[in-house]
Parts: sequence; C-alpha cells; structure tokens
Amino acid sequence: MDNKVLSQLGQSCLQSLLTVWLDFDLSLNKVSIIQRLEQGRLSLEDYQELLLNLRQQVIEGSRWISRCASSFDRHYSDVRSTVISHATEEHRDYLLLEADYVAAGGQLEQIQSAPKNIGTEALHGFLMYRASQPNPIDLIGAMWIIEGLGNKMAVKWSKQINDQFTFKQSVTTFMDYHAENDENHMKELYQLIDRVADSQQNVEDIIRTAKVVAKLYKMQLDEVDND
Amino acid sequence: MDVYINSTGHYLPGKAINNDEIENVLGLIYGKKSRLKNKILKSNGILHRHYAINDKQQTEISNSQMAAKAGINCIENSYLSPSKIQMLSCATSQGDMVLPGFGSMVQAELDISAVELHTSHGICSSSMMALKTAFNNVRCQDSENALVIASELTSRLFKNSRYEQLDSNEVDFNAEFLRWMLSDGAGALLLENKPRATGKSLKIDWIKSFSHANTLPVCMSVGQAKSECNKTWQDYSSYAEAEKAGALLLRQDVRLLDNIVSIGVQGFLKLIAQEHVTPNKIDHVLCHFSSKYFKSKIFDMLETAGAAISEEKWYTNLYQRGNTGCASIFIMLDEFINTHNLKAGETIFCMVPESGRFNCAYMHLTVVG
Repeated sequence: MDNKVLSQLGQSCLQSLLTVWLDFDLSLNKVSIIQRLEQGRLSLEDYQELLLNLRQQVIEGSRWISRCASSFDRHYSDVRSTVISHATEEHRDYLLLEADYVAAGGQLEQIQSAPKNIGTEALHGFLMYRASQPNPIDLIGAMWIIEGLGNKMAVKWSKQINDQFTFKQSVTTFMDYHAENDENHMKELYQLIDRVADSQQNVEDIIRTAKVVAKLYKMQLDEVDND
Repeated sequence: MDVYINSTGHYLPGKAINNDEIENVLGLIYGKKSRLKNKILKSNGILHRHYAINDKQQTEISNSQMAAKAGINCIENSYLSPSKIQMLSCATSQGDMVLPGFGSMVQAELDISAVELHTSHGICSSSMMALKTAFNNVRCQDSENALVIASELTSRLFKNSRYEQLDSNEVDFNAEFLRWMLSDGAGALLLENKPRATGKSLKIDWIKSFSHANTLPVCMSVGQAKSECNKTWQDYSSYAEAEKAGALLLRQDVRLLDNIVSIGVQGFLKLIAQEHVTPNKIDHVLCHFSSKYFKSKIFDMLETAGAAISEEKWYTNLYQRGNTGCASIFIMLDEFINTHNLKAGETIFCMVPESGRFNCAYMHLTVVG
C-alpha cells in the first residue's frame, strides 16, 4: 500500500486509534450475537435481526456525515471535500442492506418500519451532536471505528455467514461492499489524520470520540438481542 | 535490585527430523499419509524439528530429563556451582507425571538441594511466567540467583495410536493441526543479581503480560472433546472413554487463531503508550510467532503509524529447531546470544503470544558488559 508518511503527531494519533480499534474489536467477543456469528451458531432469524438493527443506523449514517461536512468552515474546505465525497459514496448503502434482508427471507415493510434500538439512538444522537459542532475534526475517530467495522464485516463476518447459510442470491452484499475501495478509504483516512492531527488537543479529541463511538456501537450490537 | 541473564542453555533430543521424516517418527494414522501435512507445513515454514520419541513411538528421554539436560548445559556455561543455585523455576505444558509439579521432578533430575521451587503451568507463555517469578524473586532479594527451565515433550500426544483410539474413526482438522506444528526440546536461563564476570550479560528491564481469557474462548486445549461444552476428561467414567471421545487430543480452534495477532499488537501498542518501549530504540526482536502473520494488514498499519520494527531486526530459529511451545523463547535466546556479537547497550525485545486462551508476554533486555 502506498501510504502517505504521517507526521509525528499523526503517527501517535494512528497508534492510539489502532489501540482503540483493537480494544473495541476484542470487546465485540463479549457481544452474544457476535459470539454466535463467529462460532457458527447464528440462526437465520439472528441474521435478519442483525440486518434490521444495522439498517436503522446505516440510514442515519449518511445524515451525520453530510452534517459533519457542512460544519467545516473555509479553513477546512479540503477536509469538507473529502467528507462530502465519502457521504456521496455511502448515502445509499442502506438499499443494499434492505435487499440482503429480503434475500434472507425478511419482509421489506418490516425492516423499513422498525424503530432504532436504544444503542442506535445513543450512537446516532452522539454523532449528530458532534457533527453539529464547528469544525468537528474529532469525527475522524468515528469514521475510523465505522470503517474498521466495515472491513471486519467484509473480510470475516460475510465469510462466516456464507459458511452457515446458502441462498440463491447473495445475502451479504452490504457486508461485501465494504471490501471494495477499502484501500482507497484507508488512504483517505490516513490523509485526513495527517491533515487534522496537528495539535495534541486535536489528537485527544479524535481519540475520545473514537472511544465513545466504539462504546456506543457495541451497545447497539448488544441491543440486537434485547429488542 | 538489577537482575541479569548470565547464562543460557538448551537441549534438543535426537537428530533433526526433516518434513519428509515426520510421519516415520509420529506414525501413519490408520497406515495412511496425512493429506493436511504439507499444507500446514507450508504455512508455518518449519523445516526441521526434534522428537524425544523414536520411530517405534517409544520415549527415548523424559520431559524432566530434557529439562535437566538444558539446565546443566546452562550451568556449565556459567560461573556458578550447581550447589549454589537458590531457586529453580520451571515451565511445561505437560510434565511426565500429572502430579507432583514439574519443578519437583526436574530438581530431582538435577540433584540440586534445598532450592526454592516454582512450577508454572500453561502453554507457550508459561516459560515467561516462570521467568517473571524468578526475576521478581531475585529482584526483591529473596534469592541471589535462579535457574529457569522450560521444556516440552508434546510428541507423545501425536503418536498415530492416539488418533486411532477415537470412536468416530475420524480425525478432524483442529485435532491434527498441531501435529505438524509442535515438537520437543528444552531451554534454560540462569538469572543472577550481578553481571557475569566476563563476557556479556542481558539485564532484564521488565517482563509484562496481558491475558484475555475472560474475553475469548479456548483456542488450544487438551481435555475436552470436539463439540463438548462442559464435560472434560475427568468427567468420563474411565480415561479410556475420555480418549475414545477425543477429549485427550491436543486441539487448536483455528477459526480463533487470528485473535492472537490482534492481542499481540494491542499489548505492544499499550507498552508503547505506557513508555515501556520505543520501537525505533529496539535493536533485536525475538518473537514466538509464525512469519505469515507479518504479512497481515495490521502490520502495514503499524508501519504507517511509525510503530513497526524493520524486518532485519527480527530473529527466529523456529524454522530449524521447531516450535517447542514454552521452551521456544529460551532456545531462541540461547542460539541468538551464541551466534551474535552483541554490544553493550543493545536492546532485545521478546514477545511470546499464547493461543491457549490468549495471553501475550513481553520482555525487554539490555546487553551489558
């Protein structure tokens, strides 16, 4: 991978982000539905439930990214451009998710009308709140966690789901989608980190937001079994 | 009190066995060549190893005898008389006897008197646990020295006859995997509270470990049959029944194996953040790791984050001496010291990940003298 060489602060930020990611990744082993998924004990109803719960966050995902973009002033117009293109790329992700749900035997009306679980409420509320602040550079931390999870879905979960179930058409297009362009996304994230991690305060803000998003995302997954 | 590694030693039983000879020693399961063997060997890269059993699957030397030989080799490289040894700290994943502790049997083989004794039980990282206990013992001035020995004789678990006891007649991948990974051997280190009189010593700066058994399932085990959740080997009415059910086979849940990379890197980043280690100040890395992991994405990220250690600093003898479980890191350190012209001030970073239920141990050494 042709990575941009990061500044010293950028590198220290990336080291901390990696640590937050690995802590989060490990903590997912304690989430019951993820244990069942990774240990080959997922039922079809479980998978439908997982998609249904993810959809409510994904559909709101495009909103916080768009709002995040609009909160950057002219001093961050380059960051704004990157975030806008990111929002454009992903704002219709939820359609893939809905198609997977239907392909896995679910009813479209059901996934479209389901409410957010309480973890999703908290996650979405936090992301919209941060995105509404002026120049919300800390949301790079949120993108890091969500991008990391997208990659985990693509390289691990999708395979495990396809090992467990066989359908005529793919039920994992949403998860697989994240494998495409993955290298570009990483490069983009590295560049964003290099651009905004230019003070200790900014690094601390990015890490804090990454930690909060990781915690709330885990709560969202914990809640899949509770609704 | 500073603590120094003043001598090292090792023992590898018999002649080196190459990949084509493995089944001559371990035996053919139901008389058939394994279909998995080459695939697993290609992935772990091991070319030679040693076994304490012969081609009739008879034990030529016991685990405690191997440990004692490594211990004697270590003492003979030092300035210390065996009678002056104050502590013996031993590690193995399975002694010859179920009880008493491995250390007792090794002490008897070594014939050293009235030592303070410690045995640590576990898998690959148990040697680091034994070392840490000895390090602390010398550090807090309870002992002036300590002999630390790690030894493994896993080949007894890999005899063809073990697999042929199964009721199901079918050896699954997870039960066969380690047959092509692990082999026998022992390594020893002598710790003292002062540097060696001549030549080089390694000052132990720190030893730390992070265990994740509460978060992750069992990944490498003996004692439970495939798809059994609660029942373990002693819960069967006879040991013969446990063996028939496959509860006595050494298993690796390969699906979980990737977690070892995550926890290894996570601990490393934690040590950097706590300022115990600075990646660009490390001169040598000795890691009990299969090289295929270095190609993974997370190592690319470490490089981008400025936390990678360049490839020429990594040393291993895994491919020539085999993966000897907990003994590996001591056998590696012994050969490393004897084949490198170390200079005072150079630093060595050691890392021992254990997949049993996910523990990773780290050590930082500085060359003195």
